[in-house]
Amino acid sequence: MGYAKVNECIIPTDLHIAVKDNTWVRVNEDGTVTVGMTDVAQSLAGPILHAKSKSPGTARKRGRPIATVESGKWVGPIKSPVSGEIVEVNEELAANPQLLNTSPYKKGWVVKMKPNNLEADLADLQMGEEAVEAYRKKIEEENIPACSHIEGTEDYE
Amino acid sequence: MDLEGKKILVIQTHGVDTPTRTYSPIYYAMAAAAMEMEVTVWFTMNGTNQLRKGVAEMIKLDPSSNVSLKTMLEQALDSEVRLGVCQQSLNLWNMTPEDLIEGVEIMGATSIIDLALEADHVMYF
Repeated sequence: MGYAKVNECIIPTDLHIAVKDNTWVRVNEDGTVTVGMTDVAQSLAGPILHAKSKSPGTARKRGRPIATVESGKWVGPIKSPVSGEIVEVNEELAANPQLLNTSPYKKGWVVKMKPNNLEADLADLQMGEEAVEAYRKKIEEENIPACSHIEGTEDYE
Repeated sequence: MDLEGKKILVIQTHGVDTPTRTYSPIYYAMAAAAMEMEVTVWFTMNGTNQLRKGVAEMIKLDPSSNVSLKTMLEQALDSEVRLGVCQQSLNLWNMTPEDLIEGVEIMGATSIIDLALEADHVMYF
């Protein structure tokens, strides 16, 4: 799994990324997609105290919340980067929401979805060098501070 | 339960004289907005004085954090929470519309009654 580092933020080059909403999509072999939030999102939020996902079976249009997350200083939605139905939620986040901080691209995945407009949705996301450059621009323009990582953060390798 | 589109009205009557009572109502408003509800925070009585330009920046519950009440108010506006202030309460603090931070709507007393009647739930602080 490749990645780049921008301002101490890990940007994977093998995931589809919604830079605007700080989310990512991994396309699975069984036709589902796994969705999560990026390193930039976890760093901006700070240590997450609660995460609550929508239930399996919930239909979501792109841009609608699939989960809400709370830290000491922020509470907000994780916006779905694709349209489809939630088929599985990461149950571990309820007991250990800081997986979102320590492993945003692996153990801290949020939901799995059965997409219904994937080709068009993926065309609006960015991947590889394009995603890295888009994040570099966003970080500069929005003056986003260098990503911070709490104790226990795992390497993205 | 489908919460989308439900309306929540948060009434904030506490201001800069009681900083520990300022954060939570805004935080709850942001939480409701994240849950896809339509949220209005109505500032009146002492609550009005936190909306004066330059004031909310000074209120930090955790001095080691870079998050101030101003940060919270800005995040609420970013979450599409509507912030309203009682016209009459501006006079109480010798404030004019120009004194208010950006993004706050000035409303009259009849508006708050309408908002209360239209809301699915009112939270009063």
